[in-house]
Amino acid sequence: MKFTLSWLSKYISTDGLDSAQLAERLTMLGLEVDVVEQLYAGLDDIVTARVISVKKHPNADRLTLCEVEVGDETVPTVPIVCGAPNVRAGLVTAIARPGSVLPGGHKIKKAKVRGEVSMGMLCSWKELGISEDHAGILELDSSIESGRSLKEVLELDDTMVEIDLTPNRPDCASVLGIAREVAGFTNQKIKPPVKEVPTLDGSGVDFTVTIEEPELCPRYAARKLTNVVIKPSPWWLQRQLLAVGMRPINNIVDITNFIMLEYGQPLHAFDFSTLAGKAIVVRCPRENEKTFTTLDDTERELDPATLMICDAEKPVAVAGVMGGLDSEVTETTTQVLLEAACFNPVSIRRTARTLNLPSEASYRFERGVDPDGVSNAMERAVQLMCELAEAQITANGVDEYPGQKELLQLPLRVQRVNELLGIDLTSEQVADYLRTIEFTVSGTDVLQVIIPSFRIDIEREIDLVEEIARLVGYNEIPTTLPSITMDYPQRDPLRQLRQDVVSVFTAQGFYEVINYSFVGDKHSDMMGLAEGDSRRKVVRLLNPLSEDQAVMRTMLLPGMLENIRRNINFQQSDIRMFEIGKVFKFVAEDAQPEERYQLCAVMSGQRYPSGGSLYFAGDRADIFDMKGAAENLFQSLRLEGTSGSIQFIADSKNQQPYSDPDTFIRIMDGDQQLGILSRISRKTARAFSLKQPVFFLELDLELLPQLPRIAKSFKRLARYPSIKRDIALLVPEVVPAGDVLEALIEQKNKNVVYADIFDVYTGKKMEKGMKSVALSVTYRSEEKTLDDATVDGFHNKLVNTLMSRFKGRYREG
Amino acid sequence: MENSLQQLKAEAEEALCRISDKAGLEAFRVKYLGRKGLLSSTMKQLGSVAKEDRPRLGQLANTIKKGVEDLFADSKEKLESGGGAVAADMDLSLAGRTIGFGKCHPITQVMEEICAVFEGMGFAVAEGPDIETDYYNFEALNIPKHHPARDMHDTFYVSDSILLRTHTSPMQARIMEDRDPPLRYIAPGKVYRCDSDITHTPMFHQVEGFLVDRKVSFADLKGVLTAFTQRMFEGDLPLRFRPSFFPFTEPSAEVDIACVICSGKGCRVCKRTGWLEILGAGLIDPEVMTMVGYDPDEFSGFAFGLGVERIAMLKYGIDDIRLYYENDLRFLEQF
Ligand SMILES: [Zn+2]
Repeated sequence: MKFTLSWLSKYISTDGLDSAQLAERLTMLGLEVDVVEQLYAGLDDIVTARVISVKKHPNADRLTLCEVEVGDETVPTVPIVCGAPNVRAGLVTAIARPGSVLPGGHKIKKAKVRGEVSMGMLCSWKELGISEDHAGILELDSSIESGRSLKEVLELDDTMVEIDLTPNRPDCASVLGIAREVAGFTNQKIKPPVKEVPTLDGSGVDFTVTIEEPELCPRYAARKLTNVVIKPSPWWLQRQLLAVGMRPINNIVDITNFIMLEYGQPLHAFDFSTLAGKAIVVRCPRENEKTFTTLDDTERELDPATLMICDAEKPVAVAGVMGGLDSEVTETTTQVLLEAACFNPVSIRRTARTLNLPSEASYRFERGVDPDGVSNAMERAVQLMCELAEAQITANGVDEYPGQKELLQLPLRVQRVNELLGIDLTSEQVADYLRTIEFTVSGTDVLQVIIPSFRIDIEREIDLVEEIARLVGYNEIPTTLPSITMDYPQRDPLRQLRQDVVSVFTAQGFYEVINYSFVGDKHSDMMGLAEGDSRRKVVRLLNPLSEDQAVMRTMLLPGMLENIRRNINFQQSDIRMFEIGKVFKFVAEDAQPEERYQLCAVMSGQRYPSGGSLYFAGDRADIFDMKGAAENLFQSLRLEGTSGSIQFIADSKNQQPYSDPDTFIRIMDGDQQLGILSRISRKTARAFSLKQPVFFLELDLELLPQLPRIAKSFKRLARYPSIKRDIALLVPEVVPAGDVLEALIEQKNKNVVYADIFDVYTGKKMEKGMKSVALSVTYRSEEKTLDDATVDGFHNKLVNTLMSRFKGRYREG
Repeated sequence: MENSLQQLKAEAEEALCRISDKAGLEAFRVKYLGRKGLLSSTMKQLGSVAKEDRPRLGQLANTIKKGVEDLFADSKEKLESGGGAVAADMDLSLAGRTIGFGKCHPITQVMEEICAVFEGMGFAVAEGPDIETDYYNFEALNIPKHHPARDMHDTFYVSDSILLRTHTSPMQARIMEDRDPPLRYIAPGKVYRCDSDITHTPMFHQVEGFLVDRKVSFADLKGVLTAFTQRMFEGDLPLRFRPSFFPFTEPSAEVDIACVICSGKGCRVCKRTGWLEILGAGLIDPEVMTMVGYDPDEFSGFAFGLGVERIAMLKYGIDDIRLYYENDLRFLEQF
């Protein structure tokens, strides 16, 4: 809602309040001021001028050479080259002289135009930023002398204020509404533009009004004006509209717009001669009335619930939203039927939405217009039309008011006010606050409050409590802390787990990323998902912002591959990143999907991005870095799996379409897959334009909180020394080294406290088809110091078992 | 005597510095520290000094002998460990060796910080679905169909009745429906609105919170939010509460803090007002209470919601919200 200070001051004095103070007071009352703008600030140098003579420019057809009087005592006239079609001798217009700057930043200089000197520029409305009119230069009243400040002559000096109005305050979508609020805090009464209104009883009227839908139209008033002369509005009216960003059209349309801004009551003017049967019928469309052409010359489809204003035969306007093309006031109109009505907010909102036709009128109707305000607005409009369009009122008018109601009266418990706000007011104080904004109050303790009709937002006691809060001032209410029973809330295990995962991964050099939950359809193809893959069954948005954000993601990985590409594009190719986020699993149409938290981690480029090649010789990350990161997670969380252990299993059969077939590991708890890790397949890498190898981990976090954890339980520190023995085994190349170690551990020799693989070797020196696996085993007893002979016994037994199990033998040399 | 002791010490130290091999070390040991070495022979002369000087000089001789022996041991260790007398090949200006560490996304950092402040005040954390029903996102919060307040939420729809939540406030209705007061909860999470420009992303993060009990007042709401902002922005920042409108609270408020960029003097970020809006809040509307089966005359409560992106922007001076979701490492490294 925009208004100007000069407009506001017609109804209320703002003396003693500068614009900043006014903005502050309004903001603190809940009318948040968004903009305070000094209007036409750039026009200080523009002055009036009179064109004395005009002749053709010798070197240009469309230009003229003018002598212009600028009211400067030192020069009687100045030469100006002008291109405007309306320039002529005797015209009083506006000039920007050399040195002045136009609102667009254009600096005027003395210039030569096609060889002729020009001492400035005669300006159009558009060039001065006053309106969009660029048809020619200004044409001012010929009595105006030259050299006067244009701002002064046109009374342009004003301040515009824009309020970001909350939906509950439609009463303030009007300058009078704002004035009422100002009256409240400055202890004044507003000066309404209309003091008395006639009762419209229909006497002598030659038209009829019928409301067929009283639920949707609680009030409809109409008056007929004759002998109307359509012409441009006087400057004061045009200026008010321009200042708040409205385009002047003609006197009748401008008056309806002006009243809408002044009273908050939208009006509509029909060309009376177009109304068949001299009738207005407020009704919904008949079955055969399927389309309607609005005054913006667009044909609109009507649905049966759209409330229409009709004449005896056909619709002539979409009620409360927009008029019709055929009944519009034009330059030839002489008889006007003026409508001031009130419509059901929900109905108007529905219509404006369905037709996608938000307008200043519908904005007000859908938030609620005061039905009692109709009479005043109508009377004010009629008076202005008589004054500015030479119109005549020949008869009284019609006022159908089926929805008339008593003013609402609400009880207000003073104790309730004090308890809810944490303040301590007396009944009298509460009553006084409400009276400043025109509420009528009586009683004590439980006050009886009569709500003025324009405050349609006040319906309940709590609404009055809010009024008291805002009138007292939120910042005057004390600041206390609630006293509430102590409580020890349970922590959500999944949230806790997510936080733990974040710690483990950041500690391993991974940066956390956050991607949008919605992605493009194309990700499924880029990942190479098969036609029937469940991850192609997506939850789709009905109104996405773009193709790339049209469906809810079913995987985190594609987003992260995009992140990698972006970073590589910016020369950051050493990457460790992870994301913890939800994926969305389609369940059924019109049902909430299943949402699952997943972890996705990726790495690419140097093994240690921040370690640099100084110490790590530029080692490249590989699958074992990814595997190590995953193992660290399970170890750090002490997860052991319901099956007793969590296993990383190389499995070429259960590949993913986007994983590299030679590098694929499933993370399993028994038969349950918890996640996978692999390298991105070359095909998917190409789809994402990635040239360097990328390794990834995908983990379903929802499965982890249920897994048992290895209890923290103290074991006595060993008292006896340990003995280490190495084994170098030659085994067939196909045997995974991990299986050898696994087999060793499976022996469950209680004297083996530790075993690991320290070397795997395949190469020229090896016998064909064989490889060497070197293991180191640590023996220790809890009871005594083991001697060499005993350890040799254990060791030989282990080695023999392994050799027979894997068809291997000792490696020699 | 004293002079010759000091001179011997200086000679020994100098000689040690020049030694670069084992043979040299051995020669040094024999010459200075051996049974017939220079130090021993000097010690023997102690007998011939004046009786009153003997304890003092004896102590001095011992100290010097000990010192030379320590230096000899250091040199020996250095030679054996391969280093020269001075570590000429060790350039200590080089960076330390590290495998590096990563960082949380700034949004996660700020969100956890917000949650920690409220958890410290006894609030429990509850999360809900990102994809909500129209009922919990709107109806249960007193925003019926065709309410103009729906204009404040540019909603992504999945179907007529299913949508991407536009705020985390649905958790308020869900929890209140499920449990009885007293209640203290915060609901952090992702929210969605179809809006995208330099100050809006279609997905962002919110923390909504609420408290319900007997006799909870607007003054209590002010107290809790004042405590929160002071903890969050470290210090006694001026705060202002201003009337606003949300369908699920009444009275409703917006909370501004003094602009952290210009300290309230007025700048571009605060649109020259000196204030920055950081929170929406209010007393829970009696209608919302009634819908979940609470008696609004018996219980009252407050609710608040804040945008995590905005708070992170203010705390860290980030000027373009889109940076959060580009995941550029040069951005992520900074926090
Ligand atoms: Zn500022």
